[in-house]
Amino acid sequence: MEFPKKFDVIIVGGGHAGTEAALASARMGKSTLLLTHNIETLGIMSCNPSIGGIGKGHLVKEIDALGGAMAAATDEAGIQFRILNSSKGPAVRATRAQADRSLYKQAIRSKLENQPNLWLFQQAVDDLMLEGDAVSGVVTQMGLRFSAKTVVLTTGTFLSGLIHIGQSNYQAGRAGDPASVSLAHRLRELKLPMGRLKTGTPPRIDGRSIDYSVMTEQPGDDPVPVFSFLGSVQQHPRQLPCWITHTNMSTHDIIRSGLDRSPLFTGVIEGIGPRYCPSIEDKISRFADKDAHQIFLEPEGLSTHEVYPNGISTSLPFDVQLDLVRSIRGLENAHITRAGYAIEYDYFDPRNLKHSLESRFIQGLFFAGQINGTTGYEEAAAQGLLAGINAALYARGEAAWYPRRDEAYLGVLVDDLIMRGVSEPYRMFTSRAEYRLQLREDNADLRLTDTGRRLGLVDDVRWQAFDQKRTAISQEQERLKSVWLNPAILPQEEAERVLGHGLAHEYTLYELLRRPNVSYAELMSLSGAGAAVTDQTVTDQIEIQAKYHGYIERQREEIARNEHYENMVLPVAIDYRAVRGLSVEVQQKLNQHMPETLGQAARISGITPAAISLLLVHIKRKFQHDLTEQKSA
Amino acid sequence: MHAMIGKPLSPRCASYSSFLDAEGQVLDQGIALFFPAPHSYTGEDVLELQGHGGTAVLQMILQRCLEFDVRLAQPGEFTQRAFLSGKLDLAQAEGVADLIDATTSQAARSAMRSLQGEFSQAVHHLVEQLVRLRMLVEAMLDFPEEDVESISLVQRESQLVKLQSQLDEIISAARQGSLLREGAHVVLIGQPNVGKSSLLNRLSGTEVALVSEIPGTTRDIIRQAIQIDGVPLHIMDTAGLRESGDVVELMGIARTRDAFQKADVILVILDANRGMTADDQKILDELPPNISRLYVFNKIDLLATTTTTTAHVEERGAECHVYLSAKTGDGLELLRAKLLEKVGWHHEAGTFMGRERHMRSLRSAREHLGRASTAPQAEIFAEELRLAQEQLNLITGEFTADDLLGQIFSRFCIGK
Repeated sequence: MEFPKKFDVIIVGGGHAGTEAALASARMGKSTLLLTHNIETLGIMSCNPSIGGIGKGHLVKEIDALGGAMAAATDEAGIQFRILNSSKGPAVRATRAQADRSLYKQAIRSKLENQPNLWLFQQAVDDLMLEGDAVSGVVTQMGLRFSAKTVVLTTGTFLSGLIHIGQSNYQAGRAGDPASVSLAHRLRELKLPMGRLKTGTPPRIDGRSIDYSVMTEQPGDDPVPVFSFLGSVQQHPRQLPCWITHTNMSTHDIIRSGLDRSPLFTGVIEGIGPRYCPSIEDKISRFADKDAHQIFLEPEGLSTHEVYPNGISTSLPFDVQLDLVRSIRGLENAHITRAGYAIEYDYFDPRNLKHSLESRFIQGLFFAGQINGTTGYEEAAAQGLLAGINAALYARGEAAWYPRRDEAYLGVLVDDLIMRGVSEPYRMFTSRAEYRLQLREDNADLRLTDTGRRLGLVDDVRWQAFDQKRTAISQEQERLKSVWLNPAILPQEEAERVLGHGLAHEYTLYELLRRPNVSYAELMSLSGAGAAVTDQTVTDQIEIQAKYHGYIERQREEIARNEHYENMVLPVAIDYRAVRGLSVEVQQKLNQHMPETLGQAARISGITPAAISLLLVHIKRKFQHDLTEQKSA
Repeated sequence: MHAMIGKPLSPRCASYSSFLDAEGQVLDQGIALFFPAPHSYTGEDVLELQGHGGTAVLQMILQRCLEFDVRLAQPGEFTQRAFLSGKLDLAQAEGVADLIDATTSQAARSAMRSLQGEFSQAVHHLVEQLVRLRMLVEAMLDFPEEDVESISLVQRESQLVKLQSQLDEIISAARQGSLLREGAHVVLIGQPNVGKSSLLNRLSGTEVALVSEIPGTTRDIIRQAIQIDGVPLHIMDTAGLRESGDVVELMGIARTRDAFQKADVILVILDANRGMTADDQKILDELPPNISRLYVFNKIDLLATTTTTTAHVEERGAECHVYLSAKTGDGLELLRAKLLEKVGWHHEAGTFMGRERHMRSLRSAREHLGRASTAPQAEIFAEELRLAQEQLNLITGEFTADDLLGQIFSRFCIGK
């Protein structure tokens, strides 16, 4: 049957990518359909019960600045909040929360159900409808046909998902959910380049069988942090601590004795797992000299006893899992409620996407989340948001939008994926961002809210609150720049207390604030400094901007220098085989990627500066040649 | 090829052949070598003919070659083609260019060393150390909750200091290379009768080369080129200034001043019997004060007094006095050594043919390492290290964020 309503945008999948995509496109006023095989699992956290962290928290704040749901849902569901790296500088400072799974799911579900322009429908998708090289809709399991201008695929680990526990394996999208086999089959027929990745989870434990008295308690921060720009501490439910324990030598012996039945070590698993989140069997064989590995026991929520032991992801047979868990201090009597497992799944090579996350080969078809080879809720949500935005723009007939690497972690994420591809599940780290000093959590709103408003993602409430904050910052900055402190008037002991020594001559307050050891609060305690601003988000921002002024300026200069390169558009019809001196490998890479600008070409992995020089020479030569031809003609 | 050699050649085999003219007459006999693409220096087909010496015969062979569809190569074209076809990387190509340009045997040896990659090896080694430090710092920033080896502030500082001094050594070695290629500039002050030319001749061990004018400057500055231990020294003699009378006015002419500004050392030659004259002092006063000065007291063999008749060196703060006799040769070694020392040459160190491009990157990397020591936050420290590495990458090639993460993951067990 042909479904009577035609949509602008169809989202396939209801995970973190799918829900952000659906909400974004609907916020932009496009009629949006979210198709999921199970409405009950919308917004489910299928791995660890935590949101944010270093690099990831940055993404969450950016999603929030563009009107997304993740930060707001975390404020409603977070049962522990911490700021990591607080002493290492504002750029690497990051928020992380433990979330109550069911509260989080509820928060997301409620946002979806109350979003205008958004329709939900429960049915697995089996097929794509194509017209020429453009997508025109999807077909569901029961043969229902939905037409749309664009389709966003956010199928996570469900494409040909294969779960391994010991030597047994079975098809599934996630423990308890079916895999998308028909859709995977159909996508394979489209001959889009793909690969296979692997990830895993630990066994879950009944908290009533854990002896916390022998573990180290890890409480949340006080005062309790907030995630969303519009969030407040009052939204948070009751707060809980996490607990830390360790594996030991006997744990490691148990694991070693089970390796001959491990699907990882017997070659059954072909997919590539991440280097940074290895299974416990991987850890003890790769780091054989370590006597102990940390385990964080994270509560799954307020209404359940289940606990997530972060650090012992495994696909060993269940009997080995049980023995290894019970060898750990405090878990001697642990009852496992669900077995740990590894899952292999298909992903599509993201190098075949444009920066808008639209396929290079099929118009109107967008890919977001784990299907692109990433891992993590935050990475998925960020891509979902971007794909949702661009699907809506496509439906409007407008040009695509994506942030640059110096504007957002979202820009780093998408550029890394598209230009470099993945060799393992991709996760965000701050060291991936060359403009790290300016991509901070504290200025995510200042970096992106304007754009979000322009795109139609930011509602009036957020816009007004943001505008107020921005005005307060610039007014106070202006004031600090216009108030001078005179050494003849400022009492000597005050100057020594705050500045360490007397003033040599007149200074503005702003100049004094730029000194490393002078805080805004101390500065305001000087006579003649005037009335201080009380909003701490405003004063923090003023302080960071003053202190980092020099560094940020240098990065700006670097960006400006690269901009010429970055904006140098490469001719669409360029045949890289004709560029003299390029190695065959480089020619192939360029022909495969078809970079839009010279800057993009430079970021393709394996493209050397020498290759870029040759490319420049080629373009110049060709350009001059064309010029002379024009002149003679 | 067949028309000129008269027989087919097997690839990369030397064969004894006759070189024929258009009528089939033998011009010369010699070795012909054929390198089919891509196994040649340039990556293209190359035919190499080795004839007997003698300009006339070689000219005839060359003329004969030009009858075919070929032309003479432009300077450096072989290397350029080799670079364009990927046979040489940029650093190697530049090494070859230096080898061709090299004016002295020292410079040739140094260029050879860059070509063999010793320069990039030294930089690579430095980068390895830098990556190690960055790995520890970045792991601390990105994985604060993991079991990563923590690096204390003190350790960070001490490793930074080590890196700084390593980089200083490379910069100094690379500076030697640029000294060899470009030479040093010496301003010479001395009355006509103090024995300048005999001293310069003895110093360089040959008759002093051509006396020429520096184009674009006043003709009153005369430049001579000599070599000491293979280091080219460009000598700017101020004698002309003296003759034209108004020294101060001439020194005021911008071009003249610029020529003096880039001098590495000022060499004042005096008659030990008479010392400094008012004229000498006048010129000296007009020269930039930041350039180091070397005073030579010549003709000690004629000194009447008993105290200072043997050659010796007196260090007087920034000034250095050398007593010698150009006539007997006594003290010449001392002057040679001092002169080379003053222009920054030290022979023992390995020398790299540092290009200007390399020098810029090295100096800029050094600046960032310097700034890292005053970084107020760990993330700023990390930023300066990243910028330093980016500069070094311009010499050694790409190192991505993912490469750095790879180092972290292979070293530490990351995986909450």
